[in-house]
Amino acid sequence: MQPIPGRSVWVVIAAYNEATVIAAVIADLKSAGYRVAVVDDGSADATARTAAEAGAAVVRHPINLGQGAGLQTGIEFALLAGADVIVTFDGDGQHRATDIPGLIDALDAQGADFVLGSRFLGASLNQPLSRRLTLKAATWFTRVTTGLRITDTHNGLRAMTRRGASRIRLRQNRMAHASEILHQIADSGLKYVEAPVTIEYSAYSLSKGQTLGDSLMILTDLFARRLQR
Amino acid sequence: MIAQIALTALLFAILLYAWIEYPRSPAVGMFAWLAALGGLYFVWVPSHATRLAELVGIGRGVDLIIYIWVGISLLVLLNLHLKLRAQMELITVLAREIAIANARASRANGE
Repeated sequence: MQPIPGRSVWVVIAAYNEATVIAAVIADLKSAGYRVAVVDDGSADATARTAAEAGAAVVRHPINLGQGAGLQTGIEFALLAGADVIVTFDGDGQHRATDIPGLIDALDAQGADFVLGSRFLGASLNQPLSRRLTLKAATWFTRVTTGLRITDTHNGLRAMTRRGASRIRLRQNRMAHASEILHQIADSGLKYVEAPVTIEYSAYSLSKGQTLGDSLMILTDLFARRLQR
Repeated sequence: MIAQIALTALLFAILLYAWIEYPRSPAVGMFAWLAALGGLYFVWVPSHATRLAELVGIGRGVDLIIYIWVGISLLVLLNLHLKLRAQMELITVLAREIAIANARASRANGE
């Protein structure tokens, strides 16, 4: 399915040192007719130039802030650009542009403001067992702490309406944003649904993925956030 | 007596610190305030400190006061961490404003 004419769908990608893969990711999205905003999070390589040459609107952080900060920047940029629907998408090539129509269909068909991609409703290709177990534990933790009935967590492929995106204010700059966004969705009271997506792990995406140490850092960040006003 | 007065002055400084910090991080402010009050009490009623220390298996009241002091120090460290996070949030907002303004200007110029 192509994007509905007259409706502005923006795909937001937070990218850090993704020059080797970002052009292919953008090309897939552009060929499907989406507007693409890449937030270059202070990359040391040619991510920004490559993304611009591939046809994306590029927003450059002057310094490296983290993926959560990049996504919030991209969401705000897309809202200012008049987006009706915003899709968050990873820049490392593990998401598929062909999953986006399913997310947008779910927004429309179910009257939801958020659609969360779920690899456990869809498929995970080449997923290591350790990653699977960590995600299962994280999903259980998220269900307990947010009350959301979800089957996946820390999945960067999501879609949201303009109304939904306006309610998101990510303050976790690093990886804990993926938990924070779920808390904010729960607090918003807006409708959310899940939709099946396919995540394809590659050696490249796994090298940039989260480790067990990152999981502990996420918990620390979430705890510290609770202590702040 | 000199040690008691010195500790009292330090604990009053912690009370002031906790009072100032409370609006920014209520949990840290409250814990630091309670710990400092507890410390003040035990500094001036050491027999109770010794009794409580024996009760919780620490040995001497003086040790209990030292433990409280260590606890306060850790709270101050935690608060410094939270302050650094707050500073980072301000930097993030600033960097975001600059990034979006530059991107919109580039698009407006057709770059």
